[in-house]
Amino acid sequence: MPCEHYKDALIEAAATGLDPANALASNAKMAALRTHFESCASCRAAFAEEQALFISIDAGLHATANAEVPASLLPRVRVRLQQESALSRSWLTNWLVLASAAGVLVTLFAARAVWRPRVVQKPVEMAGKPSVSPPQNHDRVIKPPAVENSDPQRQLVIVKNPSAHETLVIGKTMPEVLVPRDQEVLLAEYAEQWRLHRRTPLLAQDSDATILALLQVAPIQIAELDVKLLAEEKSQ
Amino acid sequence: MQELVLVQPGRTVGDELVREAAQADTRREFEQRLAECGPLAYRVARGVLRNTADAEDVAQEALLRAYRRFDRLRDRNRFRAWLVRIAFRLALDRLRSGKRREQRDTLWSQPEHQPRAATAEDLAAANEFQAHLDSALAELPEKLRLVLLLAAMEGHTIDEIAAMIGVSAGTVKSRIFYARKQLAEKLRCHANTIKTR
Repeated sequence: MPCEHYKDALIEAAATGLDPANALASNAKMAALRTHFESCASCRAAFAEEQALFISIDAGLHATANAEVPASLLPRVRVRLQQESALSRSWLTNWLVLASAAGVLVTLFAARAVWRPRVVQKPVEMAGKPSVSPPQNHDRVIKPPAVENSDPQRQLVIVKNPSAHETLVIGKTMPEVLVPRDQEVLLAEYAEQWRLHRRTPLLAQDSDATILALLQVAPIQIAELDVKLLAEEKSQ
Repeated sequence: MQELVLVQPGRTVGDELVREAAQADTRREFEQRLAECGPLAYRVARGVLRNTADAEDVAQEALLRAYRRFDRLRDRNRFRAWLVRIAFRLALDRLRSGKRREQRDTLWSQPEHQPRAATAEDLAAANEFQAHLDSALAELPEKLRLVLLLAAMEGHTIDEIAAMIGVSAGTVKSRIFYARKQLAEKLRCHANTIKTR
């Protein structure tokens, strides 16, 4: 057992790797320990044990801290890096594809909103043209294209270049409708008359003129009545 | 018929090329550092975990994490310190999770993990002491443990460690001193027991 008075000093000396025998005289604590060692075999032995302990600790730490690196570490990391890069690239590609698709959709919607198909409505132009022959039947009904879709011969008149007719539609109160080509002139004529308050708005009805005739109902045929009193009937 | 043009807002071919080139540069630079710093990450993890398999996993994870965040590292000269901290933190997390404790104990008993010794008695004594040392090391405060491990690694000076963990050289010396002293206090009784056998 080391002397209690020098115990901390010799542990500190062993921990710092100092040898009291070689310590500088300026270090008072080490100098006192060196003097004590000369007369105390127990402390010398304890100091030697402490030195051995720290050497073992350092050796163990060295072994732990400098463990051999597995040869598989770096190749494994490189493989993971390649996977990571590939994943990143594929993610980027997917993102770009999605972004492109979104861009296409947005463009299509925008184009649809801007270049919405419009019926040719040329009330101004038509009004100034004498060559337009009046329609045979002014009461001809305008039908929406959905109704007319059953006839494949009919073609819709759609403005191909909207910018040229932009001014005709924007700002007008005239509603936009789709009409078959053969009803284009009729519609224009009707629109002009409507604009001049000569015609009342049309209601959806069949184009057959016979249907527009007044409904004629035959008078009700009532047979001769046979009236009986209830009291008489009960008594019988 | 109106012609539609495919437009990708905010992106050009030039941007894409620049981005790919930057990624390639980053990858190249990181791979250069990988060979140099990969073993460091492994040894830090190994020092904490005391298990080869776990340490390799943690080192791999630390390196991948460093790669993913490599662009965010402003001062590339701090890469080693940065990687050490990542590896150390991940190793501590792994140690705390204890998911592979059983596997670690099994592997630790295998001969490949045991230090070499001259005789069977020496081998047993060395193994026992090493086990106690590792246990004592694990009980050290994190700050002391990291400094001690880095100091025990070959090629690290006090100044390098100080720069690595962002403290003064005096603090590093102080931590090393206290860490070794605490280890000695924990191991003294074991060393005497082993010696008196």
